[in-house]
Amino acid sequence: MSTRRRNQAFLAACVLAAVVLIAFLAIPLIALVTSVAPGRLPGLLTSPQTLDAVRVTAEANLIADALILLFGTPAAYLIARRSFAGRRALITLIELPLVLPPAVAGIALIVAFGPNGPFGGALASAGLTIPFTEVAVVLAVTFVAAPFYLRSAISAFAAIDGHCLDAARTLGAGRLRVFRKIALPLSAEGLRSGWALAFARGVGEFGATLVFAGSVAGVTQTLPLAVYAELPVSLDSAIAIGILLLAVSAAILLLSKLPHLWTDSKSQSATSSAI
Amino acid sequence: MQTGVAAFLVVLAAVVLAACGSNDTLTVYGASSLKIVLSKFDAGPTYSFAGSDVLAQQIENGAPADLFAAASPKYPKQLAAKGLCEKPVPFASNTLVIIVPAGSKAISSLADLKLGPPRRLAIGAAAVPIGAYTREVLANAGVDAVLTRNTVSDEQDAAGIVSKVALGSADAGITYVTDAKSSDGRVRAVALPDSAQPVVTYMACVVVRDGANTTAAKDYLTKLTGPDGQAALKAAGFGPAPSK
Repeated sequence: MSTRRRNQAFLAACVLAAVVLIAFLAIPLIALVTSVAPGRLPGLLTSPQTLDAVRVTAEANLIADALILLFGTPAAYLIARRSFAGRRALITLIELPLVLPPAVAGIALIVAFGPNGPFGGALASAGLTIPFTEVAVVLAVTFVAAPFYLRSAISAFAAIDGHCLDAARTLGAGRLRVFRKIALPLSAEGLRSGWALAFARGVGEFGATLVFAGSVAGVTQTLPLAVYAELPVSLDSAIAIGILLLAVSAAILLLSKLPHLWTDSKSQSATSSAI
Repeated sequence: MQTGVAAFLVVLAAVVLAACGSNDTLTVYGASSLKIVLSKFDAGPTYSFAGSDVLAQQIENGAPADLFAAASPKYPKQLAAKGLCEKPVPFASNTLVIIVPAGSKAISSLADLKLGPPRRLAIGAAAVPIGAYTREVLANAGVDAVLTRNTVSDEQDAAGIVSKVALGSADAGITYVTDAKSSDGRVRAVALPDSAQPVVTYMACVVVRDGANTTAAKDYLTKLTGPDGQAALKAAGFGPAPSK
């Protein structure tokens, strides 16, 4: 077999693999979206239960995302720009919730913050019981979504050329000013994509919420839980909520890529004949 | 290169073939509450345990079940009416109890849920059998208010109810007595008044579909309704099938 033919065969195999995988990923989504007539969606999505779920989902995710940004950004900056003993172990710890099955995350949250957990007694005497409240939803979403942001933020901050930061410091800028004026703008794209992933993951959060927060209508029943609750009642409403969730996630992911959506940065930086 | 592609195709074919399966094994779709007792009773078949409603929906959509053992007569009868399974056969009954965390003394009767301070309750959602039975018990006992004055988490199956109580998320739950028995001692059962008990009949039916292993399904059902099956069910806390 000539080199040329071998190259062509390899390229063809890559194209075939790409087509098969992309079709496999896209077909279920297309089937989902087309399985309910679009005209029926508004009717299916305006039941009081679904509207409650929309409210709970929005509230919990906005709070969780604020917490993730507020705590996650400085934490990621510290971890990315400082070298210290146990840094790798710490990063692994941060990544663990990513690979933990969500139901396990839910159990972990209960045994930590539930009434029988180490903090349960103190929380209870302060009049706080977390399970079955919206606080539990916020905690569940934060727990599963924060690592997505942290990971992305750490690599974004770590990718900044240290000389830029040092130069700014030697020119008299304070730590906060360097962070605001240099580090944040330079890592904006990484932070944005990490946030988008975290937000999309949080909106779709199911297992940890179900186990930790329960499914209390109007309090802890988020949209993914509403899908589960609607399954035995009306498959059409469950699908309608599914389409809504898909649309929200798609919107978040697209928004985060908006400036570059139609410019393919990969083919500009790398040469297209590299493969 | 060619060997690489060939290997890829072989793996793909193997995966596809494995997914198709053969039809000489027996596949039993069982209600979640039957999980422990059926797996112990006969380890042979392939089991799939979930809420009866979910299983019924899967069978309607062509799932490869041979026998459907449900926690209520409703779903087997619905499937039979659609010609998707043979005549349903009752094989067991169950009763409902309040469950509380093993160490808890706060709740000792249904009245405590109606009168005491508001509690966190885990009960079945209205659309699933355990939820429907729970609402029946509360209505029979005249304490519907239990659902409105407490914080209620609607669970999709008994497993959700038991785990909420076992881990202390919920102060109490209402589920089958058989679930209380199978919780590793993490929950304690509090009896509900006999007069309020609904009739919880477990029915099974042999699934009708192309390629179903009907013979094995019938054998299994005969064994389940026979002395061995009934003894296993009794040991797990189930009652006998009600004589109609």
